[in-house]
Amino acid sequence: MDGLSLFASRRSRNLTLALIVGVAAYPLVVRSELWLTVLLFVGATAIGAVGLNLLTGFTGQVSLGHAFFLGLGAYTACYLGNPTGGAPAGRGLPLFVWLPLAALLPGLVGLVVGPAALRLKGNYLAVVSLGLVFLGAHVFKQWSSVTGGSDGTSVAPSLALGPVDFAGIGGLTRNQSLFFLVWGMVGLTTLGSRNLVRTRPGRAMQAVRDREVAAEVIGVSVARYKLGAFAISSGLAGLSGALYAVVLTYVEPGTWSLALSIQFVAMIIVGGIGTTTGGVLGALFVGGLPEVVRHYSASIPFVARTASERGLSLPQLNQILFGLCIVGFLVLEPRGIAALWARAAHRSGEHRVQARPHPL
Amino acid sequence: MRPLPRAGLASGLVVTALLAAACGSATSKAPAGTLRSAPGFDPVAGTIKVGIISPLTGPVQAVGKPLTAGNEVYFNKVNAKGGIGGRYKIVFEERDSAYVAQQAVQAYNELKTNVVLFGQVLGTASTKALLTGLKADGLVASPASLDADWVREPNLLPIGGPYQIQAINALTWYVTDGGGAGRKICTLAQDDAYGQAGLQGVDFAARKDGFSVTSAKTFAATKGADGAAAIRGLKDAGCQAVFLVSTPSDTGTLLGLAATADFTPQWIGQSPSYSSSLAASPLGDYLSKYFMVASEGTEWGDTSVPGMKDMLADIAQIKPDQQPDLYFIFGYDQARAVVQVLEKAVALGDLSHAGIMAAMEQVGTLTFGGLTGDYPYGKAADRVFPRETTLFKVDPAKPVGLAVVKKGFATDQARQFDIR
Amino acid sequence: MTKLVELIVSGTIRGALYALVALGFVVIYKATGVINFAQGGLLLIGTYLTYNAHVTWGLPFWPAVGLATALTALTGVAVERTVLRRMAGQPVFAVIMVTLGLLIVVQQVVPAIWGYDRLNLDDPWGVRRLSFGGIHVDLKDVWALAVVAVVLAALFAFFRYGRYGLAMRAMAIDQEAAMAQGISARRVVALSWGIAGAVATLAGVMLAAGSGGVDPAKDVIALAAFPAIILGGLDSPVGAVVGGLAIGLSQALTGGYQPDHAAFLGAGFDTVMPYVVMVLVLLARPCGLFGTRDVVRA
Repeated sequence: MDGLSLFASRRSRNLTLALIVGVAAYPLVVRSELWLTVLLFVGATAIGAVGLNLLTGFTGQVSLGHAFFLGLGAYTACYLGNPTGGAPAGRGLPLFVWLPLAALLPGLVGLVVGPAALRLKGNYLAVVSLGLVFLGAHVFKQWSSVTGGSDGTSVAPSLALGPVDFAGIGGLTRNQSLFFLVWGMVGLTTLGSRNLVRTRPGRAMQAVRDREVAAEVIGVSVARYKLGAFAISSGLAGLSGALYAVVLTYVEPGTWSLALSIQFVAMIIVGGIGTTTGGVLGALFVGGLPEVVRHYSASIPFVARTASERGLSLPQLNQILFGLCIVGFLVLEPRGIAALWARAAHRSGEHRVQARPHPL
Repeated sequence: MRPLPRAGLASGLVVTALLAAACGSATSKAPAGTLRSAPGFDPVAGTIKVGIISPLTGPVQAVGKPLTAGNEVYFNKVNAKGGIGGRYKIVFEERDSAYVAQQAVQAYNELKTNVVLFGQVLGTASTKALLTGLKADGLVASPASLDADWVREPNLLPIGGPYQIQAINALTWYVTDGGGAGRKICTLAQDDAYGQAGLQGVDFAARKDGFSVTSAKTFAATKGADGAAAIRGLKDAGCQAVFLVSTPSDTGTLLGLAATADFTPQWIGQSPSYSSSLAASPLGDYLSKYFMVASEGTEWGDTSVPGMKDMLADIAQIKPDQQPDLYFIFGYDQARAVVQVLEKAVALGDLSHAGIMAAMEQVGTLTFGGLTGDYPYGKAADRVFPRETTLFKVDPAKPVGLAVVKKGFATDQARQFDIR
Repeated sequence: MTKLVELIVSGTIRGALYALVALGFVVIYKATGVINFAQGGLLLIGTYLTYNAHVTWGLPFWPAVGLATALTALTGVAVERTVLRRMAGQPVFAVIMVTLGLLIVVQQVVPAIWGYDRLNLDDPWGVRRLSFGGIHVDLKDVWALAVVAVVLAALFAFFRYGRYGLAMRAMAIDQEAAMAQGISARRVVALSWGIAGAVATLAGVMLAAGSGGVDPAKDVIALAAFPAIILGGLDSPVGAVVGGLAIGLSQALTGGYQPDHAAFLGAGFDTVMPYVVMVLVLLARPCGLFGTRDVVRA
């Protein structure tokens, strides 16, 4: 594979271009506000999932602390971008300032926290990164001048980039306009991460994942690449959190919960650990499935759809499916949807799938 | 690698379904009849759609389910009598938020072009997350909580006195008629917006009544919180009365600790601190001795109050298996407010979103037959929220486990409290 | 002084419950090398089965606890047989996530069957309490301490003298060597899940007794017990007990003194104290106080 070209093959380039056109046309063609909203949340979380995949899928480091970095990104966006008159007051800075910083700052915090966390392995790292979520929530609750404390804060930073205001481009609705911002960032993130893993640092990361000691022996600085992956992953989580907060318009410390962290891990498991598209596919699956289930819920037995009906409620059913998907994919297809996809392509004989070691 | 065609099929189905679901969109009919059609209002079919976003899953379903049942019973009663304006039936679209703001936002975006208004939004975080959208879209929603923040929001349709009022009335009563003059008064509140609202009321009462709070403790409203330290602190401070701002599950834990520690002050709880299951628990005995609830209205089954009499008659007719429940009453009252606004909108001849906003300004005083205080509406800045509170004590023999101590009173101190 | 004693008493009781939950983690870790995130789920199942047997079916309390313990142990074994066995040889993180997925399912299935409302276990202790020189202790907490002591003694005897206990220890030391000695890895692993289910039931029952109540959020104690096992070291039963007590005591003492002496740390600091202790200990000793250091293999 040529590490320097932007796309692996002409086919891949064409597919990517088609995808970009499709995504860009989506908000103009399909005007369902429900599906726009769902896909906005999907896009925002996809960025974080791509980031987590760099850490977990490509470097082999487990983290249940992703939600904490999402929160950091969201509050950075609020603090810098929110209007100066609000409560808590923001700085009223423009999009091109707060959005990059919402990724940079959490990335820096990742650099600081990383060395302590990355000394640990497997079970220990899982539990300690989980502790980060609880400690983070406590800090978010106390730091009310920035976060609004337990009262929460509204998220209303300026969304204008030069002449383009993503709060309402031309005659489009807010959701339609935001769609371009969010999915534009998804595109940049995915392309960036795809290129990263194909270059030298990316191969070094995978060496760390597959055989840590062997990597060290051949001259890869394990600590450096682990830390680098952790920082990038934290930065992307921050970007993801900022956009998630913009879509949600109000956040409180409880938003950045363990459940959110678990969702991200589930996304990469379902989507495909150690693949660049896995994060996006997983986010699409985890975010889209509940609405699909609801759409067809009338034909599912034992499901209650109003307060007075008895039976399984839709969120219950969805959570059960969510849990079963995690278990099911890990037991039956640890490489997720991306592998199913690749195999389908392989079967049609057009594309060769490279044999890879186990993704973890 | 094991072949797994079924999982492949499943993910394919999901993608297809995503597209199929995304392509379906509502089309509206041509206007007919006397009133013009509007989003959620179909004059031909004679239906008015009302959205309900409530947690019907998770711990808060203990609030969401009876509240929504209250909505349903009142709407069905109006429908049975012919509907709004005697001819438009209310159709309610319920969505389960599971108490997650993201779910509420998705439900809102799904329903916003399909309903005339939102008859219930439950959850402070959910309501705050919807506010931006409500304002941008010019829609009205009725929040199912007593936050003071809601009173001055032009897009919200709150009912009942804010939490602050409950605290002011209850404590003012306690230090005057309740025999609490000169006693050591303390607070125990969960550390969030809801806790803050109650404490604001306590501080206001303390200023106006000239008492000071001896000890103020908070507890983390997270599951698994250990309140032992807070209880210990209150006992050490010699508290003789404690104003409690919590939710039923935490109340059980905290009062259980207090009982163990032999700590027996006069507890006065904000209305959501209590649920009927507490009266039936092993703590029932402790509660009946030491616990009071500040709420509104009257006890379940008190037919001397006209609103209660009507409500019981409606339940007997529409939902005879409904268990006595405080949140049911709230939901019933809430639907009653929504119906009054809708009636006004029909009278004004405009059920569009802007028409509902206008109707809310011109509806005059919302009345509830004594189940909650009458609420003069107008522009958001001119709303006069009710100032009455009813104090209950725990009595496991009563339907909700509550017996009236003092019914529907408003102290001067509460009258002085306002929200800008 | 009374305050200190009371805090120590309440911290010890809470710590004992953490220890009971932590022991469940340790047993499975010793046999499989993985933290079982579904431990909280087993706790829920055990507690609700006890409720069902005692309150719904009308069995006397202790037989009901016994039945629920047995059924939950069987559930543990069944889960291991049907799901986790297929994960043998997979990376640690993958197995952790499978247990997490199972927890998510249990968290929904339990309220789907029994609802979300707080139920009363109707245990023999209720809210009765004992007094020792002005210090009050719930009767059920005294029993909780007794249960922890009995379980601990039984586990020690099991590991020290029991055939499978020895096998489990051998497995923990070197799986391949143990299997070469004729130890059935499958049975040992299944047994560890059974024990974990039984211990979880007892922890859940003691947690829900008295004014505790049975509700679907009771599994969060498992999250709070994580720091205990990390502190004690994942593979040490003694460590689990010491870690549990340390966490319980630090939590109680923080709650008692921090609001007056270190208010700047914020309200509710006691709830995150276990994680603070955990992080501090791990910075000094990456494998906990009593844990065995992992050997890094190329």
